[in-house]
Amino acid sequence: MKFWDLIKIANRNLFRARLRTFLTVMAIFVGSFTLVLTNGLGDGLRDYVDKEIKNTEGANVLFVRKKIERKGEQLNPDEPVEYKEKSQDEAGLNIDQDTMTISQDQIEVLRNEIPEVKTITPRYWVKGEYITMNGAKKYRVFLDMLSEGVTQKVEAGKTIDGANQIMLPLNIAKAYDENLNNLIGKTATVAYKVSDKTAEIKTLQLRIVGVLTKGMIANLRSFVDAETAKRIYEDQNQQSDDLNQFSNLTLQLNTGETQKIAAVKDKLDELGFTADSIADQQKRAYDGVAILQIGLNLFAFIALLAASFGIINTLVIAVLERTKEIGLQKALGMGRGKIFLLFSFESILIGFWGALFGIGGGIVVGNIVNIFVARTYLESFEGYSIFVFKPLSIFLVMLLVCLIAFFAGVFPAFRASRLNPIEALRYE
Amino acid sequence: MLEAINLSKTFTSDSVDYEALKNVNLEIKAGECAAIIGKSGSGKSTLMHLLACLDTPTAGSVMFEGADVSTLSEKECDLLRNEKFGFVFQQFFLNGQETVFENVVLPMRIRGATQYRMTQNAMDALEAVGLKDKEEKRAKDLSGGEKQRVCIARALVGNPQIIFADEPTGNLDSNTSEAIEDMLFRLNKEKGITLIVVTHDEDLAAKCERIIEMKDGRIMVKDE
Repeated sequence: MKFWDLIKIANRNLFRARLRTFLTVMAIFVGSFTLVLTNGLGDGLRDYVDKEIKNTEGANVLFVRKKIERKGEQLNPDEPVEYKEKSQDEAGLNIDQDTMTISQDQIEVLRNEIPEVKTITPRYWVKGEYITMNGAKKYRVFLDMLSEGVTQKVEAGKTIDGANQIMLPLNIAKAYDENLNNLIGKTATVAYKVSDKTAEIKTLQLRIVGVLTKGMIANLRSFVDAETAKRIYEDQNQQSDDLNQFSNLTLQLNTGETQKIAAVKDKLDELGFTADSIADQQKRAYDGVAILQIGLNLFAFIALLAASFGIINTLVIAVLERTKEIGLQKALGMGRGKIFLLFSFESILIGFWGALFGIGGGIVVGNIVNIFVARTYLESFEGYSIFVFKPLSIFLVMLLVCLIAFFAGVFPAFRASRLNPIEALRYE
Repeated sequence: MLEAINLSKTFTSDSVDYEALKNVNLEIKAGECAAIIGKSGSGKSTLMHLLACLDTPTAGSVMFEGADVSTLSEKECDLLRNEKFGFVFQQFFLNGQETVFENVVLPMRIRGATQYRMTQNAMDALEAVGLKDKEEKRAKDLSGGEKQRVCIARALVGNPQIIFADEPTGNLDSNTSEAIEDMLFRLNKEKGITLIVVTHDEDLAAKCERIIEMKDGRIMVKDE
């Protein structure tokens, strides 16, 4: 029997038991529908992360934190935690296990210990108050620092490359001038409070060098250069005990070679720090998304597994019902393989139809949600979608469902193929 | 053309052996019309199954056109049945939901014939049984006699050399039976198709050239 004939006959056989087929297809439909949506959600998230983290670049850069390492010390409610004296290691690093901050001295040690270091930028946490241009409207400003060696993608202009510079988020920039290029090179006034306790406000004149591309972070923050950030930081923290105690550093290296960067990481590890490159951070973000996606898909997969028992049940009944028909087909010369294929196709077709409707339904529902969410909640989500349906993912869902259906059909199809024609024709 | 040599078949169930066929020798010539008769349990169905390559003998062999059929693989047996044999059964075994055409064409479909060839052969076969105008009807809407004619068309469609008819009139009233019998005999005469009828109906058997009577797994009368 021809391949195409087998598929056609399999499909006709399915429609002979319309209600039964419909119910089984429905079960697969629910599973495929869920799988398409969970997978679409994961892909949407991945897309978002993709666009977001790709805005930050820097090949020779390592982000450094102190390593949390408390060997053999677990929080056991039954045992008190023994106090340990602060250790003084060979490098003269004062590794205090109980604080996460890095002191100025430690920064100096790093600079001396690691020859590949070009610059070290401590993370200066700064708080802005407002921004204005030539007496134009004042807007709230969320300041962030762009470490040396790190660049941000721009909608207009370029990234920060010197002192007294600022990059504006898209929304503020558009409020000042719809034509973003007009803003580049102009001066903005940024104001900040000197202390939380007083109302004293200082202002800085900063040159606008660029406008940030769209993105969740970039939509909120204005980036200033490290020197400007340092100035604001020192003003805002001069009274503080924590002045020049940093939670993390950005190391700019004078090399981009993977091996050398790895060597620097090892060295940092020895010194009691952990270091991530931008690639590491991206990988972590992607891994996070992947784990989430797998987790979500698992639920849909379980639904599909449950549905596959429906297929087995349907086909076992079909084999019993059609015993004589199978007997006749075998008597007339249809081989075991073809009988097996016929039932396999019936099984795969149940999967196929279920997946087709499930995927279709999933895409429709997903897009409706996308439109709804974009309209109501996530204005700043512009350009992003909750559900993203990629052709490859859709194809893989289809393939997986058909594969599950095929495996569900193996047992009944095998039973059908093994029927003895004489006994099958005699079967009552 | 078809020959049984020392053919034996033993069924074993619950470790009890039952000899259905004991050392049967038989030769059927091309174009012959033979009836295998006997009471139920006489072994006539078993003999037909073995001759038709539907079952394998415990001992002995079946020769078809000089070749030992019992040494064929399952696939070769399938092919032999599909291409050389036609089958008519007492219970019709039609697919009621499908059209007459689809039912008739089944052996051709199994063979993988072209659509053109299938249509040609099906039309010829339906014409031979006088059902040419009913090709689009669903099989379940036909009368008993018409159903059996569809079965004959199905047996005929692949241009077989032998038609095995297992109680072909067992489910039909006497008038319809006669029409079906006549049709089978006509095909035997006109097309030269070897006809092997298995029946317990002595009237039907009497109309055949040759009667092979079975009793307790042996042939009682060989040639009249």
